[in-house]
Amino acid sequence: MQGFAQEFTMAMGLILSGDPELWAIVLLSLRVSLMAVLIAAAIGMPMGAALAVGRFPGRRVAIVLLNALMGLPPVVVGLMVYLMLSRSGPLGVLELLYTPTAMIVAQVVLVTPIIAALTRQTVEMLDAEYAEQLRSLGVSRLASVPTLLWDGRVALLTALLAGFGRAIAEVGAVIMVGGNINHVTRVMTTTIALETSKGNLALALALGTILIGIAIGVTGTVSLLGARNGQQEMRHA
Amino acid sequence: MDNHEEVIRADRLDLTFQTNDGPVHALRDVNLTIDKGDFVSFIGPSGCGKTTFLRCIAALETPTGGMLSVNGMTADEARRARAYGYVFQAAGLYPWRTIAGNIRLPLEIMGFSRDEQVRRVNDVLQLVDLEGFGGKYPWQLSGGMQQRASIARALSFDADILLMDEPFGALDEIVRDHLNEQLLALWARTGKTIGFVTHSIPEAVYLSTRIVVMSPRPGRITDVIESPLPRERPLDIRESPEFIEIAHRVREGLRAGHGDV
Repeated sequence: MQGFAQEFTMAMGLILSGDPELWAIVLLSLRVSLMAVLIAAAIGMPMGAALAVGRFPGRRVAIVLLNALMGLPPVVVGLMVYLMLSRSGPLGVLELLYTPTAMIVAQVVLVTPIIAALTRQTVEMLDAEYAEQLRSLGVSRLASVPTLLWDGRVALLTALLAGFGRAIAEVGAVIMVGGNINHVTRVMTTTIALETSKGNLALALALGTILIGIAIGVTGTVSLLGARNGQQEMRHA
Repeated sequence: MDNHEEVIRADRLDLTFQTNDGPVHALRDVNLTIDKGDFVSFIGPSGCGKTTFLRCIAALETPTGGMLSVNGMTADEARRARAYGYVFQAAGLYPWRTIAGNIRLPLEIMGFSRDEQVRRVNDVLQLVDLEGFGGKYPWQLSGGMQQRASIARALSFDADILLMDEPFGALDEIVRDHLNEQLLALWARTGKTIGFVTHSIPEAVYLSTRIVVMSPRPGRITDVIESPLPRERPLDIRESPEFIEIAHRVREGLRAGHGDV
């Protein structure tokens, strides 16, 4: 086994030389996770907003359930999606198992509760401040949702980034439904797991470095946005 | 003083809140008409229902009895028809929006064009003497300026009725004097019908064409005073005998309302 320094140098070499295999994996990862976040946002944001402004029986239970779903174990989601998509499963005819689409489905299941729950929190908080003002302007509860979403856009972007962070770093679900097939469903996290076990540390390290870069970028952006928002609120108080 | 056009009419209005400690009579048998162009103040101790009555007119509360019409409609129809601008007790500006952005909120909701939004925001900024502050954030402005911005927001879509709930309650007296003077000038220029809640006697007397004195438990009207003061009022009118006499009558009304508790 070669020294760590040497592996690391090779890893940097892979990144900087634009190694096509490495970058194909990175691109697939981004494609899958961005698509998953996009779909999860389309489902989760209206769902969260409805829970925030709607008043219906079972609302409290739904909120508790949603918050609990934020902590879904990825391998269990992987198992559920696997059962759904497997040849004998209810959606088996679609032949989606071991495709990037299956990975997107799994990540959507993981990310939707996160985006929905954070949206619910944000919109409910804003609603407390906006409700009377909007009512005095003749706006109905339902019609106030676009205004609340628009004025909460910074916080909602944070929710999207949190969802993206979860999706891109997740390994258990995508390896089960994607199968980690070379050039087809191999993404950053699954490659790192595989290559490390094979002893090919250079590729694992290179992908790890990029993944950490993305993670830091995402959380950095989240906290910067949060700080900007918080600062304005503090000055307001 | 002819040609009275009735804008708001309350007939035997009742509002009872059901609480855990039993029913609370927030308003009982309130009868009042407000004509177009009136400046009507509601004054009384806390719990007298002055804010509750204003909120009923705005359809932010629903009376449990009696009749209330605004612009010839029910209060809720009037609310949906955007009949009034409402200035809340706290300025309630949103910290993530600029001053212009805050004032623009009603215009965005009501779907005014971009150009019209800009034009109206500039108009009302001028009206409340805040030209040049549109790009600032609320925290960059003093309390008095924030409250003026909040009034500008209520004026931006040019409803005929302006309802104000103790808008200057949290400000010091010098700022309050200044804003009272400006509010009268604004009223003279726009001819709006104004409902104004306050607990300051001088403020009520200085501003109003009519002063409605209210008292608590149950919340009710104990006196309605027509002001003999001219519409144009310099600040030093507050030292005139007429002014002092009305202030005296308001104080008597408040005291009488308190006596029978």
